[in-house]
Amino acid sequence: MNGWYGRCLRVNLTEGRHKIEKLDGDLLKNFLGGRGLGVKVYSDEVSPQIDPLSPDNKLIFSSGPMVGTGAVTGASCNVVTRSALTGTLACAKMRGHFGAEMKFAGFDMIIIEGKAETPVILSIMDDKIRLIPALEYWGRSTSETEDKFKENLGDQWIARETFLVTIGPAGENLLPLANIVNDRFLSVGGAGIGAVMGSKNLKAVAVKGQHSLKVSDGNRFVQVVNTMINKLNSAPLTSQSMPQWGSAFLVGLCYQKGILPGNNFQKASVSLRHIGTEALEGAFALRSRGCFSCPIACIKKTDIKHHAYEGKGMIPTYLAIGSLGTNCGVSDLSIIGMTNMLCAEMGLDPVATGGMLATAMELVERKIATPEELKIDIRFGNGNGILEALRLISTKKGHAKRLGQGGKILAESFERPDLFMGVKGMPLSPFDPRALQGMGLHFATCNYGSHHLYAYTFIDELLNVNENLDPSEIKGKPGLVKLYQDTTAVMDSLGLCCWPLLGLKFKNFVPLINSCLGTNYSAEDLLFIGERVWNLEHLFNMKANFNKSHDVLPLRFTEEPISDGNGGEKVSRVNEMLPEYYYLRGWNEQGEPMKETLKALGLEDSSCQG
Amino acid sequence: MPRIKIDHTKCTGCRHCEIACSLNHVANTANPRRARIRVMKDKNRYYPVISGPFVDAACTSRHIIEIDGHRYDMCAFCRASCPEKPFFIEAETGIPLKCDFCGIPPSPSCVRWCNTGALELVEE
Repeated sequence: MNGWYGRCLRVNLTEGRHKIEKLDGDLLKNFLGGRGLGVKVYSDEVSPQIDPLSPDNKLIFSSGPMVGTGAVTGASCNVVTRSALTGTLACAKMRGHFGAEMKFAGFDMIIIEGKAETPVILSIMDDKIRLIPALEYWGRSTSETEDKFKENLGDQWIARETFLVTIGPAGENLLPLANIVNDRFLSVGGAGIGAVMGSKNLKAVAVKGQHSLKVSDGNRFVQVVNTMINKLNSAPLTSQSMPQWGSAFLVGLCYQKGILPGNNFQKASVSLRHIGTEALEGAFALRSRGCFSCPIACIKKTDIKHHAYEGKGMIPTYLAIGSLGTNCGVSDLSIIGMTNMLCAEMGLDPVATGGMLATAMELVERKIATPEELKIDIRFGNGNGILEALRLISTKKGHAKRLGQGGKILAESFERPDLFMGVKGMPLSPFDPRALQGMGLHFATCNYGSHHLYAYTFIDELLNVNENLDPSEIKGKPGLVKLYQDTTAVMDSLGLCCWPLLGLKFKNFVPLINSCLGTNYSAEDLLFIGERVWNLEHLFNMKANFNKSHDVLPLRFTEEPISDGNGGEKVSRVNEMLPEYYYLRGWNEQGEPMKETLKALGLEDSSCQG
Repeated sequence: MPRIKIDHTKCTGCRHCEIACSLNHVANTANPRRARIRVMKDKNRYYPVISGPFVDAACTSRHIIEIDGHRYDMCAFCRASCPEKPFFIEAETGIPLKCDFCGIPPSPSCVRWCNTGALELVEE
């Protein structure tokens, strides 16, 4: 098979057994792989009412067909399960080299079932599949686990070709904020997956393989890749901004437009001087690191020397600067860098953690909670307090358990649910929906909670790459949101990263996909698959009791205008856009897909039985 | 004579060169283990290593190199494949692999796909 390997590994941790299954060709054609196939298999096999932390829950690692073939940015492996944080589906996007190595090991998909009695590591080394006892790794941070595991392999050449995905102490302690971390410190998004992996007593998955992937038309494929590299090089964002600063280049622009939030979205961020790209270059020595077959290389590494964290690290991305930095009132880049690294070390999701901290800080600021009650000294702007909090939360020492449950539960326990800035239990990514209307609509409707990773609407709304849209206008935004949600779904299903959309159009990928897979998809066919995936996810969430009442932004965004900053006195007009969005999706006024829509998408069997 | 010049400070470790090599030498096949160039990683550095001669015995002259205070094992930089270092041997056939500059005139596919300029074709 071209692109796909066509094999799936099913590991039952309770019985300690595994079997290798063939993947059905029709399924691959209709759902491609990666996120789409992962969601399809998960929703077919697991009840939407499942407790995410029960042994019956499953965890699916799924690499798309383009991963490992050399397709530009074909590196992303998706992890699908039901999130312990939100209760919706969770889908992480693993960058780095793990996904490609998984393909070379001969698997498109790894399904993990059951629960091991004692901690184990799943090791897939050149067709030898084993469960290794992992007591000695339990309690270690993610990078320690990876280093120790490679050391124990005893052969530096094997160690060099082995890639791991691990959980940190946060995942072991079943914190809903926990995340999984791959290739030492790449956090993957999709909070709540770490706890699911921890509940299975699975500390890590290690892969190494030597199988070949087939490409349908090699000559054409190589030509298309050449063209795409040239196109990326001629676009300013993908040839200069991204390679130089990673996604942190957005900080300046978002500040100017009043999108960068401050103090739990109470105000626009105050000053750019300490957090802009110039400050970034001043604070860290930057080294570029690329994910598998990525010509952009937006990951920036550095060395951090500080008593709280020392060693190799990643410089904060836009996400970290916004969530862990300005939104918590911190504008010291070296502190933000360390909190970001500590999150990776402990296996915490930066966005979920940042949102929870900001909620706690506002509770303290409004004197609803005292630092003594929370057992941690956190206030807006107190960076050292955050560093302390992260360690205490993830190791569950210092009785900070309440914080580890996430911002929503924390705010509810103080009877102020309105102070939690998030949708479906997931804190907002650091884009203020009052100044970026399309993103606001996406936050309200996203199947995974308010995370920008599932629709990069800012490409057109803010950066004006393909269209010249005003961030604060709502005209045309529902269509834009739908387009980007579908595009992202299909890119994830193929295993492609979404950042190249800053320099390439989606239609540029079509010849790449066809020459690789030997198919005849048009751009519309592919977007249609994306729509199918989005609807399937929506159906799962509906069965898990999510409905229209969950498609709302916190009241702060629809009622309190931002008083300062460059965004002007605006509120989010999400409720005006929602009906049009539902209409474009072919859903009824309650946000439920109509029969005809499901029939057209080929999802009749998955329809909601009430 | 053409040479491939390696500037490891520009390498991002994306391994696109490995796949370019594999696709060019084995029809329609992507597999880093069948490539004649591999990206090694040590400490903070990535460095592409292009396959050289195959030797059937391990050497006795292993050195430790010190750069910027970090100590590196010379073995990792070495272009040869030997019993101690099982790189550049095709797994399925056991045949040693050697860089051929992608034919005459030389137009190495790894250089074409290397976007950061870590690999460069130079005349000497």
